[in-house]
Amino acid sequence: MVRKLLVIGLDCVPPNLLYKEFKEELPNISMLLDDGYKAEMKTTNPPITIPAWAVMTTGKSPGELGIYGFRHRIKGKYNDFYIVNSRYIKTPAIWDVIGRKDLKSIVVGVPPSYPPKPIKGYMVSGFITPGPESRYTFPITLKRTLEKNFGKYIFDVVYRSEDKDRIVEELWKMTIQHFKIYSYLASKDWWTLMMFVEIGTDRVHHAFWGYMDKEHHKYTPGNKYEKIIEEYYKLVDEKIGELLKNVPKDTVISIVSDHGAKRMKGAFVINQWMIKEGYMKLQKSVGQGTELKDAPVDWKNTLAWGWGGYYARIFLNVKGREPYGIIEPEDYEHYRDELKEKIQRIRGPNGEEWKTKVYRPEELYPVVRGDPPDLIVYFDDLYWRSAGTLGWPTMYLKENDRGPDDAVHDWIGVFTLYDPENTVDRKEKRVDIQDISKIYLETILGETDG
Amino acid sequence: MNGEYTTVSIPKPLYERIKNIIKDTGFTSVSSFVIYVLREVVASYEQEKIEVFSEEEKKAIIEKLRKLGYI
Repeated sequence: MVRKLLVIGLDCVPPNLLYKEFKEELPNISMLLDDGYKAEMKTTNPPITIPAWAVMTTGKSPGELGIYGFRHRIKGKYNDFYIVNSRYIKTPAIWDVIGRKDLKSIVVGVPPSYPPKPIKGYMVSGFITPGPESRYTFPITLKRTLEKNFGKYIFDVVYRSEDKDRIVEELWKMTIQHFKIYSYLASKDWWTLMMFVEIGTDRVHHAFWGYMDKEHHKYTPGNKYEKIIEEYYKLVDEKIGELLKNVPKDTVISIVSDHGAKRMKGAFVINQWMIKEGYMKLQKSVGQGTELKDAPVDWKNTLAWGWGGYYARIFLNVKGREPYGIIEPEDYEHYRDELKEKIQRIRGPNGEEWKTKVYRPEELYPVVRGDPPDLIVYFDDLYWRSAGTLGWPTMYLKENDRGPDDAVHDWIGVFTLYDPENTVDRKEKRVDIQDISKIYLETILGETDG
Repeated sequence: MNGEYTTVSIPKPLYERIKNIIKDTGFTSVSSFVIYVLREVVASYEQEKIEVFSEEEKKAIIEKLRKLGYI
């Protein structure tokens, strides 16, 4: 028997907030947790939004999909990259699989979904959509309907700003609009799968984690924004309660996130480390915060360089691959091993040991497609993000080099399944993100067809 | 008109509905309307042929990704 499944995607939600700290304040989510199944969700390498949701909805690894982040380097270029969009996903997602069985889906904001691909049902693209003037729905007529009823679609809140009150206002406005749209779409009677991703949970963490987390270096007791993240979760819970009223009673409901979150300890300036260790040379010194692309890098004397982000991507300057490559192809593995070992040994600002993890892509994935970096680096197990800019007085920045940011990503997210007919019989405490599409297909179809 | 044609089946009730809406319009047949509408739709979703992001959009997205900390 085919079952209806509603997937509530909450970007960046970690288990300790949803399952413990805020649970008592969230009556609707609590009901789903208490009467259903909940597990820790082990996310992807790297624990980044775009690959994580793509892995979850296709069941393929980032290596198989060839998706390692929001952007990929264009082969052989020092500074040019392309932004990942929906067309890079060449594997059918769960809605494509059930579409072949003539079952319809409604998919809203599941990254990467711009430009929206044809779907049996409705598709609204997510936060990488250029803007409300873009063609962000399939079918295109849906856009007109949504705008008529709910105004211009709000794709995101750009939070890297000290104007916290404005962020709060915009976050609430966006989320209220989104849930009105989810409720409106959920009230259609023809769908079998409805899945949406609310990005607001990620944005509220990054903007306000330091105001909430007592261990965060920015935390001050009794600050004005201490309860903002909790208040936001309460808003989401209230809106989930309203949404569930529009969903048939026998619908299976899942709450899921793409990765967790934890406090950011700082940003490590990877390219200054490269210079200090003799891997990179500049033709002249640069001002504070200079972008790598604007820096006078002496490429003919540079062995390697790094990218910023929640994780660092390291590239080697290889002869025949890069325009001014100096590493002979036969020496590539030697340099890669040397860098891996040295980066693993990097210590913190006070000489403390870090739990830095460095991987070659082929160590992580059975197949490595697309444009991966030469090394994937998680400084201090993600507590320190990577800063790609240059010219700082130190390699250890307390703040992100792009402006204030309080949180980094973490390995464990959430996965819940609630069936009003009580058929969920799962015992495992941890679910791998790559297995979720199979669980959803089994839930909908009662079986998988391989 | 030139080029080869093939046949696509559509449900009769849909055919009738189209016939009704093109009455007194520039479309002289259901086929011409269906071809017109499909061309519009297909062009906008066609893979590879259209750049997904214009240069301006790309710049704006990169700036946003920077502010969001992804870069």
